[in-house]
Amino acid sequence: MEELGKKTLQEPRIKFENVSKIFETRSQEIVAVKDYSMEVLTGEFVSIIGPSGCGKSTLIRMLDGIIKPTEGNIYLDGNQVNEEGKMPKETLRKMGFIFQQPNLLPWYTVRENVALPLRVFGLSGETWEKRVDELLELVGLSKSGQLFPYEISGGMLQRAGVVRAMVHDPEILLMDEPFGALDELTREQLNMELLEIWKETKKTIIFITHNVEEAVLLSSRIYVMGTQPGRLVSTVNIDLPRPRSLKMITQPEFIGYKQKLTKLIGDLDLSKIK
Amino acid sequence: MNTTTAVQKKRKPEAIGSGYLNIVAPLIVLVILIAALEFFTRAFGISRFVLPPPTDIIVKTISNFPEIWPHFLFTLKIVAIGFMISVPFGMLIAALFSQFEIMVKAISPVIIWLVITPMITLIPLIMLWLGTDPNLRVIVVIIQATPIITLNTLNGFTNIESEKLELAKSVGASKPQTFIKIIFMNAMPQVFTGIKLGCIFSTIGAISADFVAGTVGLGSRIVQYTKYNNIELSYGCIIIIALIGISLFSIVEIIEKRIVLWKN
Repeated sequence: MEELGKKTLQEPRIKFENVSKIFETRSQEIVAVKDYSMEVLTGEFVSIIGPSGCGKSTLIRMLDGIIKPTEGNIYLDGNQVNEEGKMPKETLRKMGFIFQQPNLLPWYTVRENVALPLRVFGLSGETWEKRVDELLELVGLSKSGQLFPYEISGGMLQRAGVVRAMVHDPEILLMDEPFGALDELTREQLNMELLEIWKETKKTIIFITHNVEEAVLLSSRIYVMGTQPGRLVSTVNIDLPRPRSLKMITQPEFIGYKQKLTKLIGDLDLSKIK
Repeated sequence: MNTTTAVQKKRKPEAIGSGYLNIVAPLIVLVILIAALEFFTRAFGISRFVLPPPTDIIVKTISNFPEIWPHFLFTLKIVAIGFMISVPFGMLIAALFSQFEIMVKAISPVIIWLVITPMITLIPLIMLWLGTDPNLRVIVVIIQATPIITLNTLNGFTNIESEKLELAKSVGASKPQTFIKIIFMNAMPQVFTGIKLGCIFSTIGAISADFVAGTVGLGSRIVQYTKYNNIELSYGCIIIIALIGISLFSIVEIIEKRIVLWKN
């Protein structure tokens, strides 16, 4: 037992081992991700940043069983998750996926949308139903539960998308540029709400973004990806104190990280032009 | 929070106003149209063989209604039964084919050919194969209406955002769950478009069959009345046929509004 306890402490929660993904189109093969390795510990908040088309979204889709890697292995809690066939529900239940668009189903009410994972995972009972209401309350949607998605604003929709990914109580949140489609103010507000949720719930979060400021503000570690083929270029640890706040944006340390990352990404673009 | 309640409050009176207008406005247009026709036919002495005054059509149709009634019932029966078979049949074919990408590709052009080909061309042959029992006209209706329902339903099943399917995968939804909760619901507006077109095609099918063969049905009445110079009654039958189609269409539309609540 003791050994097992030690093992879980040291072993990464999520591990990518030389993962590659090749998409085949009619005329050519596109290497979306090449030889990607990464380890994420329990409770960490990491970001993956890179220009569009670098395969960052592909990475978390492979982890969540939406697509299969072509080569390499992905481990979750030490178990390989990229075997042939559908990913088992017990594995999927450990993760919640937040899409770039709110991706709510227009034919269900906001509450039904948030509760959808419960219905599919077969989680029923009063405790779960109460959880739906609590989560709606958490993001200020308790009065909008019976409305249809078209009746609420973009920011509200994305909040619903976030709590839908949390409703089955996953320990890991995978976020695919979740606030990218929102205006700057709403985006900053949601980022702060997200940090609050992360602090309270101790979830492990992989956050995909192309926004440097957002990545620095939220993460403990940032993976920088390059494009053609999508690959890991650099890893940057962000040693800023927590809790983080929007005020930090103007501090020299923060700006230092921002410049460093902007330069890393900028160099990528230059190397591409050459 | 405030914004959402505000949205609700704003929408309600607007919805009531537009609903009321939706019924009254077309009725006003109809009344104006009838009055205008009445005026022109009488004022310019238009021959009743071309267009009898609307009041003559209405009066003669009502006085001859006992004679028309069994034909009305027959046509209504053919349209209704044919339609009620075509809807589930058309949807079932679409649901089956949508499961296999190759089938969708192989069958879509065939369905389009069937939609384009006027089924009236087949009616003499169908009569030859199946005999002259007027009830067999249901088959004509089914052949006429099913392809358009299948075509629209199939479009609905295959046009779906990939993110919606990714959502299903991320929560481990089974194939039936994905189909019922996502693919079918996503297709619902297009399914209803198909059903509404099915109403129109069913009526066309039934009347076409009447024209080609037989002595029963409103279609055969139009042929007979025109032959014996009862132009008013021909027009009366045309109006009754239109009313059958409109009623069917309206029923489907009411059901659609009850079910597809999310279509803004």
